[in-house]
Amino acid sequence: MDLLPSQDQLDLIAAASDFLESRLPIEGIRQRADDPSAVDPDAWREGAELGLLTLGLDEEYGGSGRLLDDEALLFATLAEHLAPGPYLASTLGARVAAQCGDLPLATAIGEGSTLVGLAELRGDGCIGPDSIKGTFDLIDHAGAAYLLVASRQGTALVRATQFPDIGDLPSADPGSRLATATVDAATVSHWLPAETDPLWLRGTVLAAAGLAGLANALTTMSTEHAKLRVQFGRPIGVHQAIKHACADMAVAADASRSQMLFAAVCVQSGREDAAFQAYAAKAVATKAAIGNGAATIQVHGGMGYTYEHNAHLYLKRAHLLAHLFGEPAEVLAELLDQGAPQ
Amino acid sequence: MDLDFTDEQVEFRDEVRTWLAENKPREQRPDDAAGIREYDLGWQRTQWDGGWAGIAWPTEYGGGGLSLTQQLIWYEEYAAQGLPGIDATFVGLNHAGPTLMTRASEEQRAFHLPRILRGEAVWCQGFSEPDAGSDLASLRTRAVIDGDELVINGQKIWTSFANIADYQELLVRTDATGSKHEGITWAICDMRLPGIDVRPITTIEGGAEFCEVFYDDVRIPLSSVVGTIGDGWSVAMSTLSFERGTAFTANQVRLAKIVEDLIDFARDHLGPDGRRPAIADDQIARRLAEVRAAVASLRAMTYVGICDAMRTDTPGPRGSMLKLVYADLCKEIAALGMDIVGADALRRTSRWEPNGWVGYYYYAFSQSIGGGTSEIQRNIIGERMLGLPR
Repeated sequence: MDLLPSQDQLDLIAAASDFLESRLPIEGIRQRADDPSAVDPDAWREGAELGLLTLGLDEEYGGSGRLLDDEALLFATLAEHLAPGPYLASTLGARVAAQCGDLPLATAIGEGSTLVGLAELRGDGCIGPDSIKGTFDLIDHAGAAYLLVASRQGTALVRATQFPDIGDLPSADPGSRLATATVDAATVSHWLPAETDPLWLRGTVLAAAGLAGLANALTTMSTEHAKLRVQFGRPIGVHQAIKHACADMAVAADASRSQMLFAAVCVQSGREDAAFQAYAAKAVATKAAIGNGAATIQVHGGMGYTYEHNAHLYLKRAHLLAHLFGEPAEVLAELLDQGAPQ
Repeated sequence: MDLDFTDEQVEFRDEVRTWLAENKPREQRPDDAAGIREYDLGWQRTQWDGGWAGIAWPTEYGGGGLSLTQQLIWYEEYAAQGLPGIDATFVGLNHAGPTLMTRASEEQRAFHLPRILRGEAVWCQGFSEPDAGSDLASLRTRAVIDGDELVINGQKIWTSFANIADYQELLVRTDATGSKHEGITWAICDMRLPGIDVRPITTIEGGAEFCEVFYDDVRIPLSSVVGTIGDGWSVAMSTLSFERGTAFTANQVRLAKIVEDLIDFARDHLGPDGRRPAIADDQIARRLAEVRAAVASLRAMTYVGICDAMRTDTPGPRGSMLKLVYADLCKEIAALGMDIVGADALRRTSRWEPNGWVGYYYYAFSQSIGGGTSEIQRNIIGERMLGLPR
């Protein structure tokens, strides 16, 4: 039994962090706010070259063949740096292509030359092996050749051309792009059934990992501010009202990180309670990231209420991730439907 | 990363599972003081006879010397079978015993440690005083050296099981001239000594174990001092670090079983609309799922903590996080239990009986107060983990 990152994993996190800090600094989100795409295409390809999209992909498809806990740590790191771009959809998209035996597509996605956006069914509709139907939120679809459409039964890749009428919507998260599209019978180009690979659970764990990363970054942000900001002649962190808020954030971040790693191992190893652990991870991490986002704005006072400060970017990303791979209420209902954990 | 147990660990788990199933106490725990003593010591004796006493204790002191992973396996199996919590024997096994191991003399260890393990002695903790709660170091119970004895005068409070205890780990002030952390002495107090007056304090749960203890010229031989005169604070702190290290693992693990029991109860018990089971109520269902998720994460944190402790070999302030999460969660589950119980909340029950959710609710308030309040845990996390200024 081991739930601590290995030296190898720590190196991986450090390499990803270095890249994100130098090539995709958070300030870039504000600079690109009016751009159709949230991410600079060159930076996207550089990240892909570094292996950010193919960490968990089998080596025969050009990936690093690493396990889900590595990917989870990477997604936590991406979120800690608010990395823009469709990492989640493209990582899973490469996996769908690979499992369907489409080596060229898997390679193109992995290299960063083909982008995959995310399509989330909102309301009634249908996601099946041949076609999909319904109204979808499209997340980071700009420049994407495919959209990933996931359900508990299986996951589809659908060509972007299958969504004829895309209406751009203002995105609450300045680091992402949002659109809506309704389709009657869009053709599925690749379908990966859940029995072959539980992609829904992988997506759930990676979303949870992102949320856990946000919760952690927010804890650090608040704690550092509490040490530096002086009022009444002392750093505000001496006061229990602030100190305890920071402590609660740290605890929530630790709980969400521990659980998402636990879930990653369970999903990876196909443990019987994998779904239970993944849903628990998403539920815990959602609460932690949104709670810590709200608390961070409060700890920062007036500064926290400004667009210039990063706190709201984290909170907004948290709300975005919360609505991927199941609505929060749905995740709780699924969790309660599971048998007792192993 | 992995969650796999080795072949030996799986074998160990099967052995624990079988032994617990065959030997666990079957009767409900009594709720009177004498009955509790009898019951808890009896179960401790059973564990001793079976070779399972003091699993966390090193073998040189007669314990099981189990690894942290084995302890985790033991606690998980223990909880899964719905066994009683370690209650009247808690202080002996998790405070006094470990303190004696690290700081007591050869003679003191030889006398006391076997008695704790064999289920022959109940220990209680004489730390808190009316004016020294969270600020423990401001304690004032006075001890004056007279010949080869300490003469004690003063009062302790919130002393669980003082009414049935044989011994007490007693913190007294032997010197009031220095800083408050100096001049404290840690002594073994025989609870049958003349001048000791134990008065039960009834708790909101209706429990019979809470007490205050008065000392009127109680004479404790100097040979009962653990460590040296005036060095009691450091002796006491060695106890607390053990407590925050692994002692609460059992409680954390047990919460998982309590939540599953509550979910089962909510399937059977009529809900707020008076027609459908409680679990059909959306709000109750969501809250059940939330505590289920939170308990899962507490378990994951416990696992991470154990991996961490195996790597670093010191119980750091991380234990405070586990204690805090446990306490908050325990109260959240208990409050949810009350809402599921509905109007039956008017009826007093005991947490020791099946579905004793009303008793559990009132008991749960103690969990964020005893063993260091949640506020103190937040201070520790803020200052020692996050480095916030004091």
